[in-house]
Amino acid sequence: MERKQSFSRRFFLKTTSFAGALALIPPKAKALYTELKQRLIPTKEIMPLTVTINKKAYEVKADSRTTLLDLLRENLHLTGTKKGCDHGQCGACTVHIDGQRVLSCLTLAVMTTGKNVTTIEGLADGDKLHPMQQAFIECDGFQCGYCTPGQIMSAVACVNEGHTRSVAEIKEFMSGNLCRCGAYNGIVESIQKVAI
Amino acid sequence: MKNIDSYTHTRGESIYLDDVPLTQGTLFGAIFGSPAAHGKIKKLDLSAAMASEGVVRIFTWKDIPGVNQIGGIVPDEPLFAEDIVDFNGMPVAFVVATSVEHAQAAIKKIIIEIDPLTVVTDPRVARQNNSLIVPPRTFRLGDSDAAFKDCVHVVEGIAETNGQEHLYIETQGAYALPQEHGAIKVISSTQGPTAVQRHMAKVLGVPMHQLEIDVTRLGGGFGGKEDQATSWAIFCALAAYHLKKPVKYSLHRMEDMRMTGKRNPYSSDFRIGLDAELNILAYEATFHQNAGAAADLSPAVLERTLFHCTNSYFIPNVTATAYSCRTNLPPNTAFRGFGGPQGMFVIEAAIAKAAEKIGVSAFEIQQKNLIKSGDEFPYGQLAVSEALPCWNRSLSLFDHAKKKKEIEKFNAENILYKKGMSMMPICFGISFTKILMNQARALVHVYMDGSVNVSTGAVEMGQGVNTKMLQVASTIFSIDPAKVKMNSTSTFRVANTSPSAASATADLNGKAVQIACNNILDRMKTVAADILKCSATEVSIKNEIVHVNDAATEISWDFLVLESYLRRISLSESGHYATPDIHFDASKEKGHPFAYHVYGTAITEVTVDCLRGTYKIDAVNVVHDFGTTMNALIDRGQIEGGIVQGIGWMTMEEIVYDEAGRLRSNTLSTYKVPDIYSVPQMLEIDFLETKNDNLAIFRSKAVGEPPLMYGIGTFFALRNAVKAFNPKSSIGFSAPMTPEKVLMGLYDK
Repeated sequence: MERKQSFSRRFFLKTTSFAGALALIPPKAKALYTELKQRLIPTKEIMPLTVTINKKAYEVKADSRTTLLDLLRENLHLTGTKKGCDHGQCGACTVHIDGQRVLSCLTLAVMTTGKNVTTIEGLADGDKLHPMQQAFIECDGFQCGYCTPGQIMSAVACVNEGHTRSVAEIKEFMSGNLCRCGAYNGIVESIQKVAI
Repeated sequence: MKNIDSYTHTRGESIYLDDVPLTQGTLFGAIFGSPAAHGKIKKLDLSAAMASEGVVRIFTWKDIPGVNQIGGIVPDEPLFAEDIVDFNGMPVAFVVATSVEHAQAAIKKIIIEIDPLTVVTDPRVARQNNSLIVPPRTFRLGDSDAAFKDCVHVVEGIAETNGQEHLYIETQGAYALPQEHGAIKVISSTQGPTAVQRHMAKVLGVPMHQLEIDVTRLGGGFGGKEDQATSWAIFCALAAYHLKKPVKYSLHRMEDMRMTGKRNPYSSDFRIGLDAELNILAYEATFHQNAGAAADLSPAVLERTLFHCTNSYFIPNVTATAYSCRTNLPPNTAFRGFGGPQGMFVIEAAIAKAAEKIGVSAFEIQQKNLIKSGDEFPYGQLAVSEALPCWNRSLSLFDHAKKKKEIEKFNAENILYKKGMSMMPICFGISFTKILMNQARALVHVYMDGSVNVSTGAVEMGQGVNTKMLQVASTIFSIDPAKVKMNSTSTFRVANTSPSAASATADLNGKAVQIACNNILDRMKTVAADILKCSATEVSIKNEIVHVNDAATEISWDFLVLESYLRRISLSESGHYATPDIHFDASKEKGHPFAYHVYGTAITEVTVDCLRGTYKIDAVNVVHDFGTTMNALIDRGQIEGGIVQGIGWMTMEEIVYDEAGRLRSNTLSTYKVPDIYSVPQMLEIDFLETKNDNLAIFRSKAVGEPPLMYGIGTFFALRNAVKAFNPKSSIGFSAPMTPEKVLMGLYDK
């Protein structure tokens, strides 16, 4: 029986990786690249940092290379913000800086000097849940809960930005947050509920 | 009832492994994985890494006090590579340092030289080399050889399914904390705490009673943490054992993707024979399972493929053979459906191909051959079937005939867009196919103030099992759910647990909770009978009030609990449940392995953009056999999520290994999982509530895995749309159906 070789992403990746392995990079260029990389990588530098997180002022010292995500989780023990991929592809670490949503894993902590950071822990008013938190419960917008803090922070921003005029628009502006359990319908419903 | 973790989930207060506050002196580990997929280790130089800043110690196989072996079904998987590496990413050394950064930096300084050996990634090549994990297995019903001679139509072909990355958003990890007297407590992100404990005991050479494995919850598992969570926990425990310090390792996403196994890819041959009336008389299938470098759970996955090789159909003559093929990929493992989906894809492909050859629609063949009650599965069990009720209800409820006409009209009027539709009936057996695993225990304490604490062997990973367990306790006692607290899953509270898998967790553990609660309740009723001067059989509790012959008394739950305590009556109980009436004889490959089957039918509609090859999923409409659901909200979530995951497997999730056995789709930018756009535009789920008695908890049928297989319908709907554009297209049966494949299919000559 014949097995057809079809052109696919697999084929593309295989081919390019093969080409990559074969590419004859001159040793001199390699050495130059290595040296350049060494110079580009910043050395460890501890910097003072004044930042307001969830309406509380913090004065901390942080390595200039530390991400906001690690500052929150490791230094300040605010573990509500989750690490899913640590390179900006899943959205689990979404927080707000001065009301704008950002991926805290792609944000250096020192960049937040003088700014207001809001994390999932800062969303509720004491025992009173933020309407988006309430909507996620009512619309069953989660299963395992791991992506949920990022989803909610993104959802709050999505509403504040006014990107809720249609389901298509909500999807477009929530497409950076992955939920492997597949609770997407509940997430869209939650946002619609709050947006009205 | 809402998920009991709703409040903490939405506030970011739920604790996962990586959120556990660190104990003073905690060290951090990182694994150095083999850079080659197969070879002999010529040299391993750890000196530069050892001298690296912050490094405390580097562990290899030489540091193992017990045995260097973590194979569960077959002892073929060393924890650390010794002389030979079998897959790219195979653990070689475990660096422990004062920070994650130091551990990661040190890994880059490890020098390894490997003499390469031949790398095999194709299961068919492995079979030719006779490189099998276990001997092949064959399920037989009737005589397919003889039956093919009576067939008017005989069609054969190949069907292939790729693997699937679990991509739980919480990566693998563990945190080991040394305790007094040589004991170790390990917080592990695992679906199988006992599996972790058992293998850890062997590796460390200590009794299991020294090792507490504790799991609060997982940020997703999907099978990926059933067996594959074990090694990380043992690395941490091994380091904690030697260093007497807490050791934590939470994998980076790229480490996780590179080093862990995935859903087993399959390459299969099929041959199907039908008579003139479209009855399937004979079916033969040969499955080549890509097991990867070690057995892991592959032999059990293989078995479930055979159990589900005829899906929801009755075929009187079947010969199905399965080979578990050893390759140089990370050991592949459980993934929602556990081999069932791989088997069901092949029979659906066979039916689709037969339909094309005969010149009818697959619909007709599917409908004609649905399994009925009393029909025999190839493994000997007789069906108690809901296949036809689901199928028929889906046709009427979602007006299949009208949809079909609309699609035909659309396709006649449009050139650049074509629609396709498919039917996907499912039939999934519930129980672990290894009979002994169908047991569970639960520990229930009623405290003297009337509050209740429940521990089970079930691991909460988003499937809502703890909510269901809490419902069982509060229903049996007839008390406010707020009075019941679910505990984390600990091997010190509940021993010898089966993993949370096989969709059976709520059934097994729920029944154990039910038994424990009933036993406590029986003792309390005796106390009530004594107080009320009546017979215990006349006593019941309703909404926290003691009733005699259904008449309320003045005695409350709280009073009766305290009174029972004062009278020195035990308010604690360990319930034990073992599924009755199941058996299987592997020497004959016959028996009654499943407590019951779950049925359902999905109608899938898609639209393909015939210029670009892109597509959207217009609708997935499902009638699903729930039995009598005990939590419609949670069950609906499971169905929706299962469908989305199944669609991902069938359409966009494409795992790519190069010929050197290196994972190229090793991050979320090169491996695409369903995002918010991937959900069908319309997703309707109808609850087929059946009153038939079954062995499910409160007759609420298992719901974890079955819905994933509705996703298979998307593949065939897409294929039908491609065929509508280009009837001559020879587009095959190779999943996932990526837009690239669709495009090639559209313009195939």
